[in-house]
Amino acid sequence: MHILVVDDDPLAGEMTAALLESQGHNTLLASDAMEAVEQLDAHSDIKLIVSDMHMPLVSGLALLEMLREQDNHLPFILLTGDTPDTTLRQTPGLNACLRKDAELAWNLDAAVKQTLALNG
Amino acid sequence: MALDIRRFIQRFVEEAADHLPRLREGVSALEQGHADREQINELFRAAHTLKGSSRMLKLVPITALAHSTEELLSALRDGTLTATPTVTSLLSQAVDGLADFVSRLAEGATGDDLPAADEALCNALEAAALGQLPPLPITSAEAMPSSAPALPSSSTPPSSAALVTESELRLSDTVRVRLDRLDDVIRLMGEVLSSHHHLHTLVDQARELSTTLPAEQQGPFHAFHRELKDSVLSHDSLMSDLHDRALQMRMLPLSVAFDPLAHMSRELAQSLGKQVDCRVRGSEIELDRQMIDRLSDPLIHLLRNALDHGLELPAERQAAGKPPRGQLIIEAWQDADWVVVEMRDDGAGISLEAVRQKALAKQLVSEEQLLALSEQETLELIFLPGFSTKSMITDFSGRGVGMDVVKRTVVDELNGDLQLASERGSGTRFTLRLPLSLAMMRVLLVSVGGVNLGVTAPYVSELVECSSQAFIDAAGQRTLILRNEFVPVVSLAQLLELPETSSGTDTTLLLVVHQRHQKLALIIDSLIDERDMIIKPLPAHLRYLPLVSGMVSMGRNALVSLLHVPALLEATRHGTQRANEERASAALAKRILVVDDSLNTREIEKDVLEAWGYHVTLAENGRDGLAKALAEPFDAVLTDVEMPVMDGFALTARLRENEVYRYRPIIIITSREKEADRRRGIEVGADAYIVKGSFDQNNLVETLQALLG
Repeated sequence: MHILVVDDDPLAGEMTAALLESQGHNTLLASDAMEAVEQLDAHSDIKLIVSDMHMPLVSGLALLEMLREQDNHLPFILLTGDTPDTTLRQTPGLNACLRKDAELAWNLDAAVKQTLALNG
Repeated sequence: MALDIRRFIQRFVEEAADHLPRLREGVSALEQGHADREQINELFRAAHTLKGSSRMLKLVPITALAHSTEELLSALRDGTLTATPTVTSLLSQAVDGLADFVSRLAEGATGDDLPAADEALCNALEAAALGQLPPLPITSAEAMPSSAPALPSSSTPPSSAALVTESELRLSDTVRVRLDRLDDVIRLMGEVLSSHHHLHTLVDQARELSTTLPAEQQGPFHAFHRELKDSVLSHDSLMSDLHDRALQMRMLPLSVAFDPLAHMSRELAQSLGKQVDCRVRGSEIELDRQMIDRLSDPLIHLLRNALDHGLELPAERQAAGKPPRGQLIIEAWQDADWVVVEMRDDGAGISLEAVRQKALAKQLVSEEQLLALSEQETLELIFLPGFSTKSMITDFSGRGVGMDVVKRTVVDELNGDLQLASERGSGTRFTLRLPLSLAMMRVLLVSVGGVNLGVTAPYVSELVECSSQAFIDAAGQRTLILRNEFVPVVSLAQLLELPETSSGTDTTLLLVVHQRHQKLALIIDSLIDERDMIIKPLPAHLRYLPLVSGMVSMGRNALVSLLHVPALLEATRHGTQRANEERASAALAKRILVVDDSLNTREIEKDVLEAWGYHVTLAENGRDGLAKALAEPFDAVLTDVEMPVMDGFALTARLRENEVYRYRPIIIITSREKEADRRRGIEVGADAYIVKGSFDQNNLVETLQALLG
């Protein structure tokens, strides 16, 4: 089982992946939405997507929307540098929206556990 | 959950080293009024990335300052604010502040060690974003110097509003100096050093003069002489120190060359439809400004080749099982008195077959020559003028003519070395080895035919004194057996068309010079001196001389030419080839495989055998020899013993196991002359065992003729 991490900033992406791997998960890295789609096509065992919000060309939200339109219903966790507001949190199809800060380690761990439990 | 934060902080510092220069350039463009919308977007993204990364790493002051900077840039991007001098001044201060924080991290500080962000500056930035500019500028804009600064300015922490009065009175820690003034200082220091050396001569003359004085005056004169000598010696120390510091003032970090490369790589990759991560390491290493100026073009060319020829398209990479994003690493480190710069990629590597075909098509080498080349020698054909393997010509790498220029720049202009390694499917690596500075080097002064000449120390392998009886003849070329290696011997006087001076004694003094694998023993008359000397470049009207690379002054008025060792090696090789062609005959067509890890030895044995009509293929170690022997049949094999990867004994044993070579002649040529080694050679199946000390070409050829019938 793999978690796909999508982030245009290599450092942030690698840190997120390192957090997840330290929590016992296997990760794949993509630096933009197109690469994420390629990874999803190439690996059939991706069970969860963790994506940055602000990326050039195709944002995290646009990636989520695109996947849902393609009938891809994998759990999706969004990461943002700003404080997520209520509207963003309630985006349809979104399992969690977390802030990229020093508390991400704990928040992401809890969100991943909860999301995977809900989605079997 | 315990992540190693330090590793990520180091990554953050490396990424900031990409973003900060871009921010500086962008602010500069804003200041000059020609920043377009996309450039402001780029500035915003850089600030945004710094903010996001620093927040994840708990680098609180950086997050705060980056956030405020981002707010101001956002207003500029939205068009609700225009870039007035006050705005660009605030941005400059913000970038300086960020750079200061990053410098502290690079020096080992952790997030907790960072001082708090300048609240006044953050407030001013965010107020400016809302259109509330402060009534007075916090600091006046610094006037731009007319020429590029020779010294990088150290960043000073941003001043707060409460300290405005105090900061206005504080002088800057740095002074910008025009480059030509620094060059003047360095040139004057060179002159002072040369003049100072003359004082040593005066001290010696004074000592000799004392012997002619009457006895009653020698006492006072000795006191005078001792004081003069002590004074000159103490000035030695001062001069040396002053000159070192003068040269250091002209040293710059390699980041001035590397940072533009990293930026350029992303732009080029995007234009080519490729994906690349470019990593820069060791950019804090310092080099002389002259070196860096001349280094930029070769590095740019290598970069273009890596992106155009080396890295594959994302689809090709995935088909090969690689990540779609390619890796390009530019790294520098110090190695004694040298700086090593390496550029490597994880692309397709160089196709040896493509190189061979292009070399044949361009008639750079013949088919027979190709067969004799090792894999490494085949790779290095790309350095020949006019070579290009790109199937389609693109804007970025042109026709590939630059690779020979790259090599010529590194070797001839920078007195360095350029090495290439490539593995098909895995990537390519270029390694440049450069002296710290071109201004001063250790020089050996020698005398030949009544003329004094200099050779820079990096090219000198050793000095050898021996009898002329020690030379052997190999295909008309005098040769010295130096430990396990054959080294061609050439009279330097003859090479330079100077008069030969025959010495009364039988001993000969040889200066052995080298460049990478090649060695050459030069017959000289005497060694005069060896010391650090100021190297002066040739004036324009003398630069046509291929064998001279510069001048040094000796004593007060005498100038000495520095020999250009790569050109000497090239001239010697041409001479050898000409002599060799005259002796070639087509009487015999037997094929011989020569296996030796020494390039010089391989070349000499090949010359000997080809002069007698044999067709020769070369191999550089036992495994290479085994692969070539199994790839095609040879009539005989000549092999050295001590070689890396597989030695001559193992090679012989393996060949005897093969049906084709069970009874083929195998001759071992080695410097090992113990009976046990000879017996072992026979045991593994060698037909003949020739000790290099007793080597001469007639013996070798007679042995071959006896064995081949």
